[in-house]
Amino acid sequence: MSNLIVKNIIDSDIAVATDAGDKVFNEIVNYLSKNKSVTLDFTDISILTTAFLNAAIGQLYSNDKFSSDFLNDNLKVINVQSEDKPLFSMVIRRAKEYFKDKKGFEDSANSAFYDK
Amino acid sequence: MIIKFEDDIKTDFEGYQKLIDLIPRISKSIEKEIILDFSNVFFFEANLCAILATIIEILEKNGKIVKLVNFNNRVETILRKNEFLISYGYGKIFDNYQTSIKYRKFNPADKKDDNNFEDYIKEELLSKNDFPSHSKLLGKHITLRIFELYENARTHGSCDFIHACGQYFPKRMEKPLNVTIVDTGKNFQENVSEFLNETISAVDAIEWAMKKGNTTKTGDISGGLGLDLIFQFIQHNKGKIQIISSDGFWEWHRGKSTKMILNNPFNGTIANLRFNLNDNSHYKLVEETDDDWDNLF
Repeated sequence: MSNLIVKNIIDSDIAVATDAGDKVFNEIVNYLSKNKSVTLDFTDISILTTAFLNAAIGQLYSNDKFSSDFLNDNLKVINVQSEDKPLFSMVIRRAKEYFKDKKGFEDSANSAFYDK
Repeated sequence: MIIKFEDDIKTDFEGYQKLIDLIPRISKSIEKEIILDFSNVFFFEANLCAILATIIEILEKNGKIVKLVNFNNRVETILRKNEFLISYGYGKIFDNYQTSIKYRKFNPADKKDDNNFEDYIKEELLSKNDFPSHSKLLGKHITLRIFELYENARTHGSCDFIHACGQYFPKRMEKPLNVTIVDTGKNFQENVSEFLNETISAVDAIEWAMKKGNTTKTGDISGGLGLDLIFQFIQHNKGKIQIISSDGFWEWHRGKSTKMILNNPFNGTIANLRFNLNDNSHYKLVEETDDDWDNLF
């Protein structure tokens, strides 16, 4: 299993910006797309925002490519400070709702279009 | 053209109105040079420098030259300590008591400025002796909310500059810390009306955006948590949140939200957070799933 160190990817000990989250997302996808398991290591990250996590983790649900089972089997998150752990479940739950709604919206928009 | 402020300028509805009213008043004038006279101002809440700087930026874009004159000693000292007046030819004054939070502007399109904002918060808040006054965790929660707010301005605003400033009042009972962030990009009303596909008032747009889970994001990155976490934290911390966008003013303080309409619209968004640093509460995000870390996804 490969180890991705967040601090090295974003070159900072605070993970706050959407763009920084995007960099981490791209790294994760690089591995998962090749069916390679990966560990995301938050060692030395002192501050984490939902904006960063929406981009880094939430975005994994943006298409149907990765199922929850696949992610649980192939992506491990380690060394997160205990007070930051709830942010992960918050962001993941929100992303699932968001992309479900978005898909529903797009499906209904498409069906309206095809009905014409 | 000389504009003399009539009295003090505070972080409240009247204070915002006094500053925002400058824009149409000055824009209508054919005179190029504008002098803002502060002789009647004995108290200017320093965090408001972020707004004054934004207003000057708007006026300068319209070809005006703005000069600031006749500061009372106390006001001048604070605005030199927080470095707002440096670009107007005043010298720096060292802040012995570390109560000022410097005025800075950031370019949201410049990636380097993301790091500069991080450094700003580290230098201006995290490295201060008195911050946080009670617990490291409180300091971390406050810092986090400020980053969420900045990121919100950066991703929703798409403007030239984001202006930030603050002020800490350690002698007051609640030890309030004010942090003000201003952007001039797309405002709440434009973003929310576009998203909902109906025109709603500015104040209703702010109220909509503050509701749990509401977001105007439509791309591959989800949203709707940042403002919600800021609001929840402010509620627990018994702080204050004020948002001004277009002609809407929305405030939450001590369990009460207030909605008001400004005389003139502000083409952007002002967000002011007041944190209560005299807070012994223990903060913990409530979420059930953190014990099932193996099935996170």
